Amino acid sequence: MTDITKETIAPPRSFLSQDAIQLCYRLLAAFLICAVLAVLSDSFLSLGNILNVLRQASLTFFIASGLTLVVLTAGLDLSVGANVALSACLAGTVIHQTGSPVLGILTALVVGGVVGLLNGIMVTALRIPSFIATYGMLWVLNGLTYWYMAGDTIHGFPAGFRQIGSGYLFGLPIPVYLLLIFLSIGTLFAQRTIWGQEIYAIGANPVAARLSGIPVARRLLLVYAVSGTMAGLASIIFLSRLNSAEADIGESLTLPAIAAVLIGGTSLFGGLGTVFGTFVGALILTLVLNGMNLLSVSANWQPLVTGIIVILAVWLDMKTRRRGQ
Amino acid sequence: MRHRKLGYLALPLLMVAALTTQARADGETIAVFTKNQTNPYFQTVRVGADVAAKTMNAKTLHYIPTKPDSIPEQLSQIEDVVVKKPSSIVFIPVDYKAMVPGVEKINEAKIPVVNITDRSAGGKFVSFIGADDYSLGLETARYLLKTLGGKGNIVIIEGVKGSLTNVDRIRGFNDAIKENPGAKLLASQPGNYQRLQALQVMENLMQSNSQIDGVLAANDAMAVGAIEALDGANRKAQVIGINGTKEAIDAIKSGKLLASGDYNGFAQGCLGTMMAIRSLRDQPVINEIVLKPTVITKDNYKPFDVPLEQRSCPTFEEAGKLGSK
Repeated sequence: MTDITKETIAPPRSFLSQDAIQLCYRLLAAFLICAVLAVLSDSFLSLGNILNVLRQASLTFFIASGLTLVVLTAGLDLSVGANVALSACLAGTVIHQTGSPVLGILTALVVGGVVGLLNGIMVTALRIPSFIATYGMLWVLNGLTYWYMAGDTIHGFPAGFRQIGSGYLFGLPIPVYLLLIFLSIGTLFAQRTIWGQEIYAIGANPVAARLSGIPVARRLLLVYAVSGTMAGLASIIFLSRLNSAEADIGESLTLPAIAAVLIGGTSLFGGLGTVFGTFVGALILTLVLNGMNLLSVSANWQPLVTGIIVILAVWLDMKTRRRGQ
Repeated sequence: MRHRKLGYLALPLLMVAALTTQARADGETIAVFTKNQTNPYFQTVRVGADVAAKTMNAKTLHYIPTKPDSIPEQLSQIEDVVVKKPSSIVFIPVDYKAMVPGVEKINEAKIPVVNITDRSAGGKFVSFIGADDYSLGLETARYLLKTLGGKGNIVIIEGVKGSLTNVDRIRGFNDAIKENPGAKLLASQPGNYQRLQALQVMENLMQSNSQIDGVLAANDAMAVGAIEALDGANRKAQVIGINGTKEAIDAIKSGKLLASGDYNGFAQGCLGTMMAIRSLRDQPVINEIVLKPTVITKDNYKPFDVPLEQRSCPTFEEAGKLGSK
């Protein structure tokens, strides 16, 4: 019995090595895009533009980082964008009413986290498939946000608060520091902690994971709560960067975040992938849009090119993985 | 004796009958269809409809797709409404072509319907009330170029590609630029009416263009996003938006936004509802009003700086003079 479970959970290192190969492909793709853009546009490699790309990618990454853990357990969180919208609108109100950014930040983190926890409860206690549970949550959150905002916007926040999303420290945008912090935490958590390895194991084979004594329900709760909290964090960055909250802020965020996770090489079937891969995925998506803006590619062609890049990336992923297995 | 009693009975009955016929002259129910709960513009339309209905002693019922701009959802809402039989309908199609079968259903049910904002590609309407997106684009862009002295480097941030409003507004922008040989269009890039996307597009465009003098954004949210990007890079440019939202008025007041084209959502809601009720009461209606564009600037923003609920609808006599056709 013990032998079987050992085999089925498989030592984490074998996942890592395969993930490492995948990561190399990802980085190669990102470098290729960069090389092409550097040739085509002389402003691409400027320091300003590189910081730009990193700051823009960080927004997608914050949402996608928590989502990566969910996808690693073979789940999906479709409510992240709607969660960002609700968190941002409530946090914006709190900052307006109290004048305290700290209270606003706490609000966003708590609202985001609670929404994530509710998702986790639906998935674990009620055994609703995550796709359906979080899809339902998406509607609930949209409904609440639309009702609460009634077509209005909240705008104008204190200058100090604005620094979080728009400010610089030693020449680097503050979101880039946050990016590095959360990238490190996420990578260390997934690769170097028992909890992280248990999450991989749950994604690879939930039955085996349960049999080997992993508290599957509690780990899933944690994963969804983290995803929700990261959406709350993202809402703060958005709020301070955009200087305003509106009900449809999250509409265009969910799918790019999912795309970043998948382009980054995390498998929808769970158990394979890395948080760093998700960062590279977010980077690739951002580079493509940034490049098309720099090159003044017609508005007509931009969605088409983005779509092709997404499909190519996932196709390459599946091809290389099959070969690797 | 008995007859007399009947007579006593008849008296209050007659009175009730008199009251109800009196009440039938007003108290109509107007079903108002708008595209979504997220765009502040439609909120101004709904408030305008409510104010008009209130002053004419009628009631409004609002039908809004829960998923923004959803064609199937608006179609099923029409089916529901046709069963409920409101006195009249004020209608904005979520898609001017795809909703034609829906309009035909309303026509078959013999419910009078007024078309506002987006002109439906088919169906029979009591009247059409709208604004001219082309002249809104043209007039706002002319104002920008006049301010810049007829020259300078211009960028356009486009709305959702293929949407009726975007096509016409961008055409207006471009025609105004062509009128000024000294002006140069650097780029026309998509922001999809979203604040964040516009901000990022602007950040990217600033990398490849060291001198940007004017920004033409197809709506206010994108204009404000562009301003945030300019502020973040410590650069200055004259920015215009379209819609005349509260946020835009605040930005005009503080000198950050040069101007916004008023799409007259409030007046469209008012006039649409007014025509719907008037046709029910067999009063004359105006078949078509295309509202003249108003360029809201620091010189004339005051009437727009009033909460919507406190604004008053134009009278029927004034309505005739508001049109440009």
